[in-house]
Amino acid sequence: MVIRGIFCRLLAAGFAVVAGCSNDPYPAADEQAKILYGAFSDAPKSLDPATAYSVREHQITGPVYDTLLEYHFLKRPLELIPGIAEALPEVTDLGGGRSRYRFSLRRDLLFHDDDCFELGAPGRRTREIVTDDIAFELQRIADPRVGSPVIEPFAHVEGFQAFGARLSARREADPAFAALPVHEQYRAVGPIEGIRTPSSHVLEIVLAEPYPQILYWFAMEFSAPVPWEAIAWYDGEAGRPRFDDHPVGSGPFELATYDKQAKFVLERSKNWYGVRHPEWRAPGAVYPSEGEPADRAAGLLESAGRSLPLLERVEVRREKESIPLFTKFLQGYYDSSGIAPENFDSVIQNGSLTPEMEARGIALAKDVAPTIFYLGFNMNDPVVGHGRTPAERARNRTLRQAMSLAIDSDEFLRIFLNGRGLPAQSPIPPNIYGYDPGYRNPYRQPDLERAKALLVDAGYPGGIDPKTGEALRITFDSYNTTTQGLIQHQFYTSAWKKLGLDVRIEASTYNQFQDKLRNGAHQVFEFGWGADYPDPENFLFLFWSKMKNSDFGGPNYANFSDPQFDRLFLAMKTEPNGPDRERMIREMTALLERERPWIEIFFREDYTLRHAWISNVKPSGLSIPTYQYIDIDPALRARLRTKWNEPIVWPLYVLVAAAVAIVVPGIRTYLRERQ
Amino acid sequence: MGAYILRRLAYGIAVVMGVLFLLFVLFFAVTNPDDIARKALGDKVPPSVIEVWKANHGYDRPLWPWQDWRENLLFDHYRRMLGFDFGLSDADDSPILERIRSGIGPSLSLTVPLLVLSLLASIPLSLVVAFFRETYIDRMGVLLCVLAMSVSMLLYIIGAQFLVGKVLRWFPISGYDSDPLLLPRFLAMPLLVGVVSGIGSEVRFYRTAFIEESTRDFVRTARAKGASEARIMTRHVLRNALIPILTQVVMSIPFLFMGSILLESFFGIPGLGGITFDAIQANDFSTLRTMVFIGSLLFVLGQILTDLSYGLVDPRVRFER
Amino acid sequence: MTVEPYVVSNGAVVVLLAGAVFLGRAVRRNRLWREAAASLWRRRRLALCVIAVYATIALLDSIAWKGGVPAEAVGVLPGAPHSVIDRLFLDSAEASYSAPFADVEFYGGKPLRHPGGHPLGTDIIGRDVLHLALKGARVALLIGGVTSLIAIPLALLFGVGAGYFGGRFDDFVFFLISTLASMPGLLLLIALVMAMGRGTLSVCVALGVTSWVGFCRLSRAETLKLRELDYVQSARVLGVSEPGIIVRHILPNLVHLIVITFVLMFSGLVLSEAVLAWLGIGVDGSWGQMIDGARNELSREPIVWWNIAAAGAALFTLILSVNAVGDAVRDVLDPRTRGEGA
Repeated sequence: MVIRGIFCRLLAAGFAVVAGCSNDPYPAADEQAKILYGAFSDAPKSLDPATAYSVREHQITGPVYDTLLEYHFLKRPLELIPGIAEALPEVTDLGGGRSRYRFSLRRDLLFHDDDCFELGAPGRRTREIVTDDIAFELQRIADPRVGSPVIEPFAHVEGFQAFGARLSARREADPAFAALPVHEQYRAVGPIEGIRTPSSHVLEIVLAEPYPQILYWFAMEFSAPVPWEAIAWYDGEAGRPRFDDHPVGSGPFELATYDKQAKFVLERSKNWYGVRHPEWRAPGAVYPSEGEPADRAAGLLESAGRSLPLLERVEVRREKESIPLFTKFLQGYYDSSGIAPENFDSVIQNGSLTPEMEARGIALAKDVAPTIFYLGFNMNDPVVGHGRTPAERARNRTLRQAMSLAIDSDEFLRIFLNGRGLPAQSPIPPNIYGYDPGYRNPYRQPDLERAKALLVDAGYPGGIDPKTGEALRITFDSYNTTTQGLIQHQFYTSAWKKLGLDVRIEASTYNQFQDKLRNGAHQVFEFGWGADYPDPENFLFLFWSKMKNSDFGGPNYANFSDPQFDRLFLAMKTEPNGPDRERMIREMTALLERERPWIEIFFREDYTLRHAWISNVKPSGLSIPTYQYIDIDPALRARLRTKWNEPIVWPLYVLVAAAVAIVVPGIRTYLRERQ
Repeated sequence: MGAYILRRLAYGIAVVMGVLFLLFVLFFAVTNPDDIARKALGDKVPPSVIEVWKANHGYDRPLWPWQDWRENLLFDHYRRMLGFDFGLSDADDSPILERIRSGIGPSLSLTVPLLVLSLLASIPLSLVVAFFRETYIDRMGVLLCVLAMSVSMLLYIIGAQFLVGKVLRWFPISGYDSDPLLLPRFLAMPLLVGVVSGIGSEVRFYRTAFIEESTRDFVRTARAKGASEARIMTRHVLRNALIPILTQVVMSIPFLFMGSILLESFFGIPGLGGITFDAIQANDFSTLRTMVFIGSLLFVLGQILTDLSYGLVDPRVRFER
Repeated sequence: MTVEPYVVSNGAVVVLLAGAVFLGRAVRRNRLWREAAASLWRRRRLALCVIAVYATIALLDSIAWKGGVPAEAVGVLPGAPHSVIDRLFLDSAEASYSAPFADVEFYGGKPLRHPGGHPLGTDIIGRDVLHLALKGARVALLIGGVTSLIAIPLALLFGVGAGYFGGRFDDFVFFLISTLASMPGLLLLIALVMAMGRGTLSVCVALGVTSWVGFCRLSRAETLKLRELDYVQSARVLGVSEPGIIVRHILPNLVHLIVITFVLMFSGLVLSEAVLAWLGIGVDGSWGQMIDGARNELSREPIVWWNIAAAGAALFTLILSVNAVGDAVRDVLDPRTRGEGA
């Protein structure tokens, strides 16, 4: 009897759980609020604007930190507009390659409310932003102890590296100095020569050499104003968080909750200039009224002229796996989503949404991102690299050309990405100056017969290495140890197998892979590069010999070096957009076409789905903050969510029936045995 | 008694020291701090930054005491671990102690109900199976147990998320919220999977314990006296078999704090198991070795407590193996 | 001159077969063992047959030689060694998914190169799933086998040594066991693989290091008991050397424990590898890796099920058979349960 009692109780508990069950992951109270629900997969590392350098971090630092310049929300190609600056800077040529950029900062800008401002005056919660705050942040980038990844581009500023050197020398010589708060250290060693603040609202930057791309860096969080109080206060001591985890910015949103393993919440800031001074009609705080021709039809101009931000709150939760994320999107619990390859066919047919998705009011946006995926050869390697003698050079080049001809980007995209992507012909992606839509790289048109013929020319007929009499053995080094990654790499190796080449995958952990890169022990590898800013220089510098990974630790992982390429690159870097620049880029592309340090695979095409209740979404390919433009219709969302999430209950009854069917004969047996 | 406690404690401390040494060999001598730094900082970073990072994380010293008696990583490792100063995560620089503290709640909210539910499900079931031993119910029960044991945990999770979460829409497919109104619906599915995947081996284990117990003399005596079989099972067999079961439960309590790597990471529960999973994925060695250390420490503590309680109950028990 | 892996593999097959013949004869000669084997066979005929089939597949997949590849075969290196199993699927590459026995590709409907020729379909890059599933048998048995080969001798060495000699050595072994046992198993496993790097051998070594402790403790306790038995004591009085006593009197009495441990450990090891595969540190070509690679494919439309089903079923059947045999082995060999229940 006791057994039956326990069982009944268990059953009752099960009923209670199921009866009260719902798959709604959010509190009912939030249903009518203008909240955007998003997801992230990997925990951010540092929210310090001087070091944050990945999309997952910019997702937070972008809306929290305001920058002097911003990108126009709608116009393509991307265009810079003033952010917290009054206007785009005045540029003065100082002669000798030097130039001065003069920014004027808006007045009456406030930081977000924060405890750290009590350091300046007791009881103070915020203070006005001055140009010294920007100069301070630039000094932090120059400070070797901060470890900023963008010292190199800012090194064009006069005296930038000298400042860092001065600082290090003083710290080493004088331990008492090294123990001072950093803002006092910076003050003591004197300012960076090329960064001046004539008044609290004027900032002058002097470049020692031409580098017009510097403007883009003023549209990124690296150069956002940072209060010295925040650095001094948030040091991780005495229970205070570290500055990495506690941003103090001035953007349209404040970071209200930050649990980096699980979720973060951004709330509209009452201190943002767009909220405090809507009457300014500042370009960064008003929804734009012009864009691309297609934007009007896409409904992207319906909010024109409205004051930003349109959302109350942004809640972003961690989703490590793509399938739960997408399922929750379909259930209406996330407002927008990408499409995992596995889900693609249930959503898209013949390039557009399935009728079922359209009936749900889901919209699709496509955008080719300025991101390239490529296979690289280690040019220092004796078999696949530059080679030492002219004969070796010719042999290895022909081998690279043959291997390039064997890889079918279209097939790769079709199999792994449902065709979402553009087969790459050169390193320069669409929407970047110098991209030539008509260009067809002869070595990227897959042709097995021609590849086999080239292998004969290279002295490896049928893939046989004459030295060993067996298939030429090449290693494909990979740091992607997931099963999915392995399968993708097997696609490449099986293509080369068709030429008779024995390419073996060596999957190692990321640090072992980096070790191989450093020691030059790699041969073929896969990598990707995403644009920092929309300029071809940001892609072609990956072949510049000064960026060689083996010698300088730069991102030229192929270790490509070619004097003619270097010459063209340096000229192209400073040349304004125009026919001359286009010609240089063409020459560089032709050089890469012949030399094949890379096998360009594809440019990623992002497909973004969004529900009917979310509006004003336009992808840009760069990690640019756009939360302030997005709008939500909570009433529609609540209605559709209820409609889509009726639980299916009948299997429960089947389960109960099955349980009864098992239990009853047991009891009968028991009763029989008792008699 | 006092001497026994002291000896037991000293042995526990020695074991913890041994664990720490093993961890040092694995995470400092075998894997180089340079590699950890490079993994943490990513591919866009110049070498000088790596040196700064190593200094910030205390990796910039020689490994062994014979290289530098004062400043070496081995002593530093012992000093920091034993002082519970776990330092910063290698992957994202966040304080490890902080993160562990925030993970204990979610982990316990999963593992404690899981333990209770598993016991509530498997003990009655195994009693039933033991009660009907040598009948078709027993044979079917054992067969079902072996079947349930032979399925990989991955398949259970994948199946539940697909069926219960996606098709039937009973519960959120993954996620976590500490709000008591929302918590049960997030925990329902991981609990279901945890109970179902563990029930096979547990029922089999308890069944053996019950059957062993039911062949004892006092059970025969009770049977001879004419007590009903159900009464024998609940009064005599269950009560006596409870001792080994309880011992096992007590021994498993320390591990409740460690969470469940698979369940937490698949269902997005930000507990210690999920943290461990992230640490593995990100090659976050400092977090990983902290987790191993804490796990060992809890285990050793649990063992000492169990032994001491035996010693208190039964004065004949001495420091034996 | 390095020896190529396939030569090693062929050699291992010869050694294994010879070992099996030797074992079979040994079992036949001893009455107790012969009866135990017969009793086992009576109880678990089906499961033993299933295991035999898996073992045969694994052996066939371990015998490889070079050459003999038809010129028209696509997607295989003509000069590389291919196993017997590989040779059944030499020219089976397709471009991408196809369903079991299908004539056209799963997406797009392009005709296949081998219409109807894939009884379990093909995976995302067009490999025959039956081929992959069969190859998984070798990996699984390799994991279980190599790990046991590492763990059991290690455990015997330390366990018997500690139990027999006692003293300092026993203290040391006991300390080592307590230390290893107090570290969370899965975490230690992961830490070992991450420190040693990926690969079959390092996974096996890691599994071995984490799984020898239990058996070591068992064999130590058993040796302690055996050491005090009369005939061992009298052997010592008669002046039999200590290694002689261990080999002649202690080890034979541990054989039943070894067999039970081996069978019971085996399924746990293979299942652990599946978890490692999910963490990205498993063994290439294992079923765990197949399951992990295919788990998201259940969300495709229409569902791609054959991949995960093949790997899941192959894994499940092997584990089920081994578990079933393990139960029976324990019943037959364990003196505590022997004679009861049968």
